[in-house]
Amino acid sequence: MQKNTGNKLASIIEMQNVGIRYGHGPEILSDIKLSLKKGSFHFLTGKSGAGKTSLLSMMYLSQKPSRGTVKVFDHNVNFANRDSLAMLRRKIGVVFQDFRLIEHLTAFENAALPLRIMGMEEKEVKQRVKEMLEWVELDKNMFAQVSTLSGGEKQRVAIARAVISRPELLLADEPTGNVDNYIAPKLMNLFVELNKLGTTVVIATHSEKIISDFSYPRLNLENKNLRIYYPNDKIEMDTI
Amino acid sequence: MKKISNIHDIKFSKDEIPLKSDSSNLFLEVMISISVFLFSVTLAGVLAINSMLSNWSDSILGALTVQIMPVNNVNKEKSIEETLIHQNKALEFLKTVDGIEKATPLDDKQLQRLLRPWLGDGIDIKDLPIPRLIDVKLVPHAQIDFMALAEKLAEISPLASLDSHKLWLSKLIQFADGLKNLALVALFLVLSISAGGIIYATKSSLGLHKQVISILHIMGAKDAYIAKQFARRTGYISFLGGLVGIAFAVPTIFAIAKLSEKIEGGIITEASLSWLSWSSILSLPLFSAIVAMMTAYVTVKKTLEKMM
Repeated sequence: MQKNTGNKLASIIEMQNVGIRYGHGPEILSDIKLSLKKGSFHFLTGKSGAGKTSLLSMMYLSQKPSRGTVKVFDHNVNFANRDSLAMLRRKIGVVFQDFRLIEHLTAFENAALPLRIMGMEEKEVKQRVKEMLEWVELDKNMFAQVSTLSGGEKQRVAIARAVISRPELLLADEPTGNVDNYIAPKLMNLFVELNKLGTTVVIATHSEKIISDFSYPRLNLENKNLRIYYPNDKIEMDTI
Repeated sequence: MKKISNIHDIKFSKDEIPLKSDSSNLFLEVMISISVFLFSVTLAGVLAINSMLSNWSDSILGALTVQIMPVNNVNKEKSIEETLIHQNKALEFLKTVDGIEKATPLDDKQLQRLLRPWLGDGIDIKDLPIPRLIDVKLVPHAQIDFMALAEKLAEISPLASLDSHKLWLSKLIQFADGLKNLALVALFLVLSISAGGIIYATKSSLGLHKQVISILHIMGAKDAYIAKQFARRTGYISFLGGLVGIAFAVPTIFAIAKLSEKIEGGIITEASLSWLSWSSILSLPLFSAIVAMMTAYVTVKKTLEKMM
């Protein structure tokens, strides 16, 4: 069992009294308090429509809260300018449930995106992307257009793209949803290895198997609020 | 799938946003080619009018005409003889004036040519009571008191009068100036419509590629990174459109010039284009590409600013 409360570590994400609503509708999330410590590993769970995607999108700086304060890497998102938000996003890797790959580009070009955006030298980009795609066993389809790949292959490209820049924070939405039983634990091990190297990881999943296989705390969204569960000692806390 | 044996042979696509396949590309290219065509022809007009105005100004500053009214006498030959005496007096006087480089009386052939547009060929001007003319060329930048000169000339020969061309030329210049201003307004309109078209095409393209742009943002791309891709593509399309426009504009300008040569009187033929004017016109595809790039860049930046 691994319990990583990480209280001694600095916060990567802090949320205070955060609420999200769309338009004039009711709040999807209400009074969220969260402090994600550096180097921690959490699962994010909740029923469909509980607000997992909204919470994740705030974490990867794609959405501002309707109220409350969100601090990412100690920067208040409400007051950060566009360029500094872009620089913060470069420290975050995201795996989407629907992959969000650029269909007309090859697997290689998709995986290279974060490094190219960072302005890394092309020679190094190519070397790192090649190694990463070989690791996720996509070496044979490296130069195939993403639109020609299967769901599982796309998932692996998305994961390769998310971790290629060795992000400080990795957010994944159902990252093993489309891969087979052989590749799923391998990808989970990749996240665990990255976490051991210092990356903070949040994985949104419905898979009870994955949650029980890896003993990490669980952030559960219920009734618009966030609760944390430590599965092994059954401790439940209101907020983190 | 591409067959690549060495990863160092890989060429990354410069455009992550698939702008190449946008349906608005053709609209933009056609619009820019029409704009560049109109802009080139209008600009050629403005530049030609400018050169014409400059030639006319030189005429005002550098030349005078002295007119000797004909002596009306029953005896035609005596009339001509007396008129010529007045002309010679005026001529002798003009040669003594400081600031006058040359004074040349127009002979019968030259007078006949001037009258040809009105009287046609085959007219013997000796039969007509027409004034004699002296073409006076001034020393460049000469300071001459025209009023005093006219008065002195009238004393020497009461039949002589001075025409500094100012009156008729000023009216022509006024007209040409008006024409030029109108052309400048037309240029401004063409430029504004093109900019509007580029903004519209860029915005619709932004909407079309919203998802890819969102991916790039999430990966940490700054707005400038995205705007550069739009600017590069729009610039390329505008350059192509500009080349098409100029390819149609150059023969059109030559055709207009050819037609204007047929207009007698020598006014329009002064409206020639210098090599500098031609290089300005021929550089329009490049100019349109730069303007289009800047417009697209600013449009993308401004639009993205409204997003998180």
